[in-house]
Amino acid sequence: MKHLLLVLPLVLVFLQHSLGQTVISGKVTDRKGEPLFGASIAIKGSYDGATSDSLGHFSFRTRKKDSVTISASYLGYEPEFQTLVLKGGNLDLHFKLKDAFNELNAVTITAGIFEASDSKRMVMLRPMDIVTTAGAGADITAVMQLLPGSNRVGEQEGLFVRGGAAYETKTVIDGMIVQNPFFSSTPDVPQRGRFTPFMFKGMAFSTGGYSAQYGQALSSVLLLDTQDKVSDQSSTNIVAHLAGVGIGYTHKGAISGQLYYSNLAPFLKLVKTNIDFVKPPQGMGGSLTLNENLSKNSVLKMYVTYSDGGNTLGLPNYDDGGKIYQFKLRNRNLFTNNTYKVFFDEGKWIWQSGFSYSNNIDDITIGTTPGDRRDERSQVRSVLKRLWGKNQENSVLAGLEYHNIRNSNLFDTYKASLEENYSAAFAETEFYLLTKLALRVGLRGEYTSILDRYNASPRFSAAYKTSQYSQVSFAMGQFYQTPEKNYLYTNRSLGYELANHFILNYQWSKSDRTFRVEAFDKEYKNLVREYQTTFDPNPYRFPTGATDNSGFGNAYGFDVFFRDKKTVRLGDFWVTYSYLNTSRLFQNYPVEAAPIFSTTHNFSVVYKQFIPKISSNVGITYTYTSGRPYYDAASPVFLGDRTKSFQNVSIAASHIRSIKGSWLVFFMTLDNVLGRKNEFGFRYSSDGQSRFPVIPVTYRTLFFGVSMNISRHADVPKESKLDL
Amino acid sequence: MKRLLMYFLFGALNYGIISAQSADSQAPASTQNPEFVEAMTGVVADIQGAQFGEDLQPFANTLERIAAAEPKEWLPSYWGAFCYMMKSFTEPVVEKKDQYLEKAEKLVTTADELNPNNDEVEVLKANIASARMAVDPMNRWQKYVPIAGAAIAKAKAINPLNPRIALHEAQGVFYTPEAYGGGKAKALPMIKGTIELFKAFKPTSPMMPNWGQDAAEYMLGEAQK
Repeated sequence: MKHLLLVLPLVLVFLQHSLGQTVISGKVTDRKGEPLFGASIAIKGSYDGATSDSLGHFSFRTRKKDSVTISASYLGYEPEFQTLVLKGGNLDLHFKLKDAFNELNAVTITAGIFEASDSKRMVMLRPMDIVTTAGAGADITAVMQLLPGSNRVGEQEGLFVRGGAAYETKTVIDGMIVQNPFFSSTPDVPQRGRFTPFMFKGMAFSTGGYSAQYGQALSSVLLLDTQDKVSDQSSTNIVAHLAGVGIGYTHKGAISGQLYYSNLAPFLKLVKTNIDFVKPPQGMGGSLTLNENLSKNSVLKMYVTYSDGGNTLGLPNYDDGGKIYQFKLRNRNLFTNNTYKVFFDEGKWIWQSGFSYSNNIDDITIGTTPGDRRDERSQVRSVLKRLWGKNQENSVLAGLEYHNIRNSNLFDTYKASLEENYSAAFAETEFYLLTKLALRVGLRGEYTSILDRYNASPRFSAAYKTSQYSQVSFAMGQFYQTPEKNYLYTNRSLGYELANHFILNYQWSKSDRTFRVEAFDKEYKNLVREYQTTFDPNPYRFPTGATDNSGFGNAYGFDVFFRDKKTVRLGDFWVTYSYLNTSRLFQNYPVEAAPIFSTTHNFSVVYKQFIPKISSNVGITYTYTSGRPYYDAASPVFLGDRTKSFQNVSIAASHIRSIKGSWLVFFMTLDNVLGRKNEFGFRYSSDGQSRFPVIPVTYRTLFFGVSMNISRHADVPKESKLDL
Repeated sequence: MKRLLMYFLFGALNYGIISAQSADSQAPASTQNPEFVEAMTGVVADIQGAQFGEDLQPFANTLERIAAAEPKEWLPSYWGAFCYMMKSFTEPVVEKKDQYLEKAEKLVTTADELNPNNDEVEVLKANIASARMAVDPMNRWQKYVPIAGAAIAKAKAINPLNPRIALHEAQGVFYTPEAYGGGKAKALPMIKGTIELFKAFKPTSPMMPNWGQDAAEYMLGEAQK
């Protein structure tokens, strides 16, 4: 009793005290029970609260009484609330927070796609990377050829993806197919792309398994998204290099005009060429771009370009002991691409419509024989997209496309022509089952008048995040394409060619280091096959034999890609290896074989370094591709022989300087530094008795120039994004 | 305040020299309850006295609670944005830097809505935009330089004597290489001017922004070397 009397006052004091205050303590963890360090615990409407320690523990006192709401929040997690009644004393609370949906923890579908964009974080290459890559000459396609899945074919332009021919890849600008993405082809002289990388804010290179929004490409699509309006600045840009001059003006960031004149004569005087340019390539052109945010919710983009150029080549006549004949080309190209995009209902709906028209005229004389080509394409496209979900992370879209395509090809007095009306409808949804699991399901239906056939192709992709920085991704689908026009000129009863893709991808990416590995399998069906009595190895021949869709093929392999922008400060290093095993029976091949454009091993290393002290960027690129199959009439195995490997070391450097508020960028590249004499294959006389190697236009190329940017404000030109 | 010095080393990557405009106005002082003033004064003193590398998350959390309890006050959001911006400089993981800066952007937008046309808010906006750019300058200058430039121009129009405007401009020149029209020599007179402005600057209360002088003095020392 005595003891009790002694203790009682203490108890009373304690009770009094604790009646006034409640001690709230507890723990904040994630769903797995891992403590969250630095989480905020708060009583709604009061200053009282705490921050969790490294073990997730917290404790604080409050004078609040009655019913309160206590929240626990942590950046990147969904906040959690508990409503309870405070009556003094001690309270122990446990908060288990759920990951919020955000770019850091949400998975992205990466199978079969290489994105180069400045809007998304999970990207491989950014537009600026294109112009700083040695050996690519600021050409988008040339850089894509250094990525896994594509190999360089020295004598021809285009993207050859995973055993696919160049025609199996389509270039798409803002959703619309570009009829002639490259300057017109001349025999064994590869051409550049028509578009400068600075036009685009993002580039996505698909190596297969692409979205139902696109079609008519058996292997791949190169998706280019044009720049948005970024500022109201006006600027003038002047460029002069070994092959031409150009000037551009941008008015208030909205309207921009470009003019150029190109002439390769000075360049050809400086370097030794393996091809006789009777008349050096020469041309002029211009473009006009309008890019305006019409209102807060709508964007109008208009682009029109026209170019006129040509050249005359002296090519060897393989049947006449290599005697030179003239191949004369004049190309005129008009292209316009226009889109209008509108967002409504707080951005939950997006409607984008586009119109594009392309007219390409090639006036060609081969020796004395006219061989003119005409390609004209008009297309309209409209896509309605609806976003949903808490963070509008899910989407469903539906769209329609219509194209009118007219092609013709003259050879001497024989004129072949085609008119095609192509329409497509597609629908696709991309959604998250979990933050870590995303699915994309699409369906595309097509009809083309020229085949008078319908097709329907399903597409499916999924991605699952395996850890904070890694994920696996899968893509599959069916891809139809109308046969090449050369076959349709002579046979209208052909059907669609088909490829089935399966792609499995693993990617790890953290703070400017990326590693990815991808395995693929592609099965070709219904490829066009041409029947010939004897095999004609000339790739530029016009098909004359009977044709049907009995061809087939397959391609499987894997690629590995690693990029590191972190280890060396202001340095950027990437290495690519692709393994390809492919064979097919198509075109005029008498038996199944690895096609002449395929290479088994493709390896490249790209390194770039910015050196602030001399404000210069230097880069080096090494490329190795194993030998290409070539035809030898004497060989017992059809296309059983391989050329020697292709190897190339290129270097590039650029230097930037500011003079009175304008910016000067000096650039230079040296291609094939070691002067290796690469070979791409052989051409044959028609009796197959004599052969001529196909070699690059030059063994070694030196190129340099200067670009100047004058802004009204002393602002940075895009070239200075070299790094800082 | 060493932390602030480091901030400018990490974050100052603004190339633009923004044209001057002049106008004058001051943000209205709000009437505040004593509990608010006491809590804010304490946390602001803690933030401005913190060492570089010290985690500002507890202060950001305190500010968030105050902001929730006092939905009409702009200062908790302003200082919250400041804390997350500072956190982005010490965070090594690029993806997380952006997460902090996104939060800072949200908070500074709230501060701007509660107290529109305030020079301090505009300056902080400019600093956050510069920080956003500094994460990946090569690919981001095109978007963020105009944002920072517009915010600084607006701040100048409101209060050209705010020393943090001059500081932001001086650091832009200071950290831009000479070849690009910047450099320490060129920045020197701007730094001196900035320090003069800091000497003349008196915050209207201890919870008002008063950061940056040490950074200017650090630059002065470097430029005079």
